[in-house]
Amino acid sequence: MIKLRRIGFSYAFLAPSLLLTVVLGIYPIGWAIRYMFFDYKGYGEAKFVGLDNFERLYRDGPFWHSVANTFVYAGGKLILTIPLSLVLAVVLNRAFRGRSALRAIYFMPTIISSSVMAVVFYILFNSYNGILNQYLLKLGLISVPIPWLGPKHAMLTTILIAAWGAVGNYMLLFLAGLQNIPRDVYESSSLDGANRWQQFRYLTLPMLGPVLQIVVMLAIINALKGYESIMVLTDGGPIGKTEVMYLYVYKLFFPTPSASYVPDQQFGYGSAVGFATAVIVGVVTLGYHLLSRRLNRLQ
Amino acid sequence: MIKQVGTAALVGALTVAVAACGSGGGNGGGSAASPTGSSEAASSAPASAKPAGKIKLSYWTGDRHDQDYIKEIVQKFNDTNPDGIEVEMVVKTDDFNQAIDLAFSSGQAPDLIRVKENTIQPWAKKGYLEPIDSYLTDEFKRKFPAIPDFNVIDGKTYSLPNYGSTIRLVYNKDLFKKAGIAELPKTLAEMVEDAKKLTAAGKADGAYGFAQNFKSTQSALFRSARVIAEASGYGGLGYDFKTARYDWNGYKEIIQAFKQMVDDGSTMPGMESLDIDPLRAQFAEGKIGMYLSFSSEPGVYKDQFPAKIDWAAAPAPTIDGTVKGKTSLLGGQWLAISAQSKNKDAAWKFMQYMYGDDILKTYQEKGFGLSMVPEIAKIAGKPNIVGIDGFLPTENDGTWPLEPTSAIKVEGELATDVFFKYMLSGGDLDAMIQDLNKRYNDALDKAIAAGEAKAEPDPGFDPMKIR
Amino acid sequence: MKSEAWPSMRTRNSSGRPAAGPWPGRLLLGLFLLVTAVLILFPLVAAFLGSFMTNAEIAAGGKLVPSVWQFANYKEAWVQANFSRFAWNSLFVSAATTVGTLIVASMAAYVVERMKFPGKALFVGLQASTMFVAIGAVVLRPQFQLMVDLNLNTSLWGVILILISSHAYIFFILLSFLQGISRELDEAARIDGCSSAGIYWRIVLPLLRPALGVGALFTFCGAWNEYLRPLVFTLNNPNLQTLTVGLSYLRYGSSAAVQTHYLLAGACLSILPLLAAYLVANKSFMQMTAGSLKG
Repeated sequence: MIKLRRIGFSYAFLAPSLLLTVVLGIYPIGWAIRYMFFDYKGYGEAKFVGLDNFERLYRDGPFWHSVANTFVYAGGKLILTIPLSLVLAVVLNRAFRGRSALRAIYFMPTIISSSVMAVVFYILFNSYNGILNQYLLKLGLISVPIPWLGPKHAMLTTILIAAWGAVGNYMLLFLAGLQNIPRDVYESSSLDGANRWQQFRYLTLPMLGPVLQIVVMLAIINALKGYESIMVLTDGGPIGKTEVMYLYVYKLFFPTPSASYVPDQQFGYGSAVGFATAVIVGVVTLGYHLLSRRLNRLQ
Repeated sequence: MIKQVGTAALVGALTVAVAACGSGGGNGGGSAASPTGSSEAASSAPASAKPAGKIKLSYWTGDRHDQDYIKEIVQKFNDTNPDGIEVEMVVKTDDFNQAIDLAFSSGQAPDLIRVKENTIQPWAKKGYLEPIDSYLTDEFKRKFPAIPDFNVIDGKTYSLPNYGSTIRLVYNKDLFKKAGIAELPKTLAEMVEDAKKLTAAGKADGAYGFAQNFKSTQSALFRSARVIAEASGYGGLGYDFKTARYDWNGYKEIIQAFKQMVDDGSTMPGMESLDIDPLRAQFAEGKIGMYLSFSSEPGVYKDQFPAKIDWAAAPAPTIDGTVKGKTSLLGGQWLAISAQSKNKDAAWKFMQYMYGDDILKTYQEKGFGLSMVPEIAKIAGKPNIVGIDGFLPTENDGTWPLEPTSAIKVEGELATDVFFKYMLSGGDLDAMIQDLNKRYNDALDKAIAAGEAKAEPDPGFDPMKIR
Repeated sequence: MKSEAWPSMRTRNSSGRPAAGPWPGRLLLGLFLLVTAVLILFPLVAAFLGSFMTNAEIAAGGKLVPSVWQFANYKEAWVQANFSRFAWNSLFVSAATTVGTLIVASMAAYVVERMKFPGKALFVGLQASTMFVAIGAVVLRPQFQLMVDLNLNTSLWGVILILISSHAYIFFILLSFLQGISRELDEAARIDGCSSAGIYWRIVLPLLRPALGVGALFTFCGAWNEYLRPLVFTLNNPNLQTLTVGLSYLRYGSSAAVQTHYLLAGACLSILPLLAAYLVANKSFMQMTAGSLKG
């Protein structure tokens, strides 16, 4: 009986989340996704076209190109962000003067609107009079300006900017995770003569385990989905070098008007591409999930 | 111990915050606005205590450059009209088109909408706009030219013209003088040559011969290559009206010339990520020799980026120096009445007021736009604004018919992206154009088959004879 | 003091020999912190300085410090973005979203982590799947249509409900933190006769405080910076517009240049409330001591 009551209680506690998720999360996705078998412009009639949209998806070179870009972008962002934010969190978890100020500084990029910062980054990175090049030239580190937003470097630049905006975010999550590790564990270990690295490797990491695991998962999802600051800074350019898959989807739903015509929204094809991107993100996340579970077991 | 920790301080703090929000205003279902005491907001508060018999209309526009003036005349209308009509003007920006779509899909549409050359067609198709034929007096019909596709669609009139935009070569007179160039470029070859000379003369000061805003390839090429193609007798957006097919071959020599300028080092570095505003700012600083753009430039240099140089505008060059077509005069529409408006008669009264001679005349004279209404153009003075002279419409400006690009779904890369790629990294341009033609025409055929686009050959089409 | 166990560290090795720890390592660490902080701060400083330039100066670029300080930018941004009114609306949306999200997500995380019931895996999968798809562009239209049907399309409550509905992110964060918290306390409380709801309220929530703090901060900032939905839901009611929507009006005119100077000034103003929220949250999730954990 107690068991039944607990199950009832569980459902009751789950209800608000479930209701909101289904009504405002799942249903709208279903609404949009069903158009992947249709040709629909957002007005007028939706025409059933079977698998046409998926055939087009298969042929759609620029989309697959954007998928490849997404992996470069997400990979680069994660490689920079996760270790850096973890180290910062561990360091800033110790007591020393100025740590509150440092935490606040690292966190600040998270709160300022990314579209506004894109304007500033343009001033810093542009190739004709960008501040960054000016400094590098002055310091004698380079002899000719680097086209940071040119076809060769634009991806690197967007990754750097993405990492800039994300480090504080994950640092805070790790910091909060570290609060769950009792201090006395460290004390006894330092009495045992463990050095910093050993403490980090054999105490901090394992105890941070569940948090680390999920935070990395969220970071992967976020990195694969990120497109907003790219949209403002380069809009996927130059020549598609920073086009990522969610930006590609966005443009199908909200096409950029030109001076002479406003293209129709492509609900049908957009939904098909949206579905494909969701599957890609889902597969990657699932892969990560299984991998981290196996690693856990090995430990 | 546990109890001492109690409820999380944060949750507590936030509850207080919400309580504060709630006590501020209606926390029930309907409105979430909190009547805080901000005076400037209160003055524009709608719906509060309107006298009986007032007809409230809303007018949405995406125009900012003229908003102070339009606000002023709307206010005057509200104060003086005898019918108790009150117009609220809402300036939407970036997301104007999106806002319109959502407003119509939810029954929140405004009564009056500013339509543009690229929106009147789709919005009329979607049924957002009300034909105004029944309101038009003979006087109106005589005065305001009907422009098929741009204010008359399928025989119904939806809007009337006010102003139009022309496209010109904008050039830095000082730099041209310094480079010893006496004549403006008339051909592509001269343009390439001049860009080289300008760069040679200006490079020491960080100035370059030519620039385009390639952050958006469409925005860049549809104000540059487009106008050169048109002046050379080709459709500016790749569509051939004679055959009713896409043929991007008209762009070929232009893009080759653009590539030549890149290869020569005559173009502004970082052009690939340049947006139009930084481009204008660099031009105002004297760092750019020439570029191609719309007639909104003089306003920007007057109000926003004061030009530190002597500059002017002139007709764009052509491929071989002979003018074989008129260049785009964009416009032909201004206000339209919403099909969902409950007060269409009142809306028309407002429209009538807005299309009054004085307002249109002042509009041009203040430099907000170049009048497309012959009668107004005759009586209105020249806009009092530096650099506008070169932009004034001439014999060689006209409105091209609407090409079907908005109705087709092109698969793969857009033409402008392909061309820019070629400019940066080369390749087989002929093959690229062939592929573009195929993809665009396939999309066109599909759209025709689906009844979404019309494309009828017009063998007698003469790009010099458009109006 | 517990922290005495750690040698007090300064970012610069200027004063006082440290009591313990190899000093080159500390110097290196200090240097590392300093460099990262400078790298992080630099663009922000550039934004702040830019907010005092003229529009032409910003667009021309190449400069960090304004030649003439345009303090009027702030006044213009304040007036043009209707700041006092819109900030209030933003505060309302953000606070309500934060409270709603924390409650909904923490309740779900609690039962998923601590209870056994059929369909758990399905629920978790459902939450995860919303994260894969949900970008505004895809679901905006149906969400809006729903709110039209519910008659909430002209109020900020529609926005708030939608924002709360995307609580999967916070749900997973809370879930992971709960996994790291031992169940001993729950069980002890249950033996003492505490109900499931009581355990949630008296034990789980307090223990989750660091996570709730971070979650609150993220939700608050996310809601504060949300643009598309407030824009759509306030189409016909300018008085309900939030700050991000107001700020966007400082941007483009179709035939004029972007007013970047006002935009930067507005952005600098609009992060002040967020900094305040950070300070509040920081206090709550950083003051956790080992003592309270031990109960």
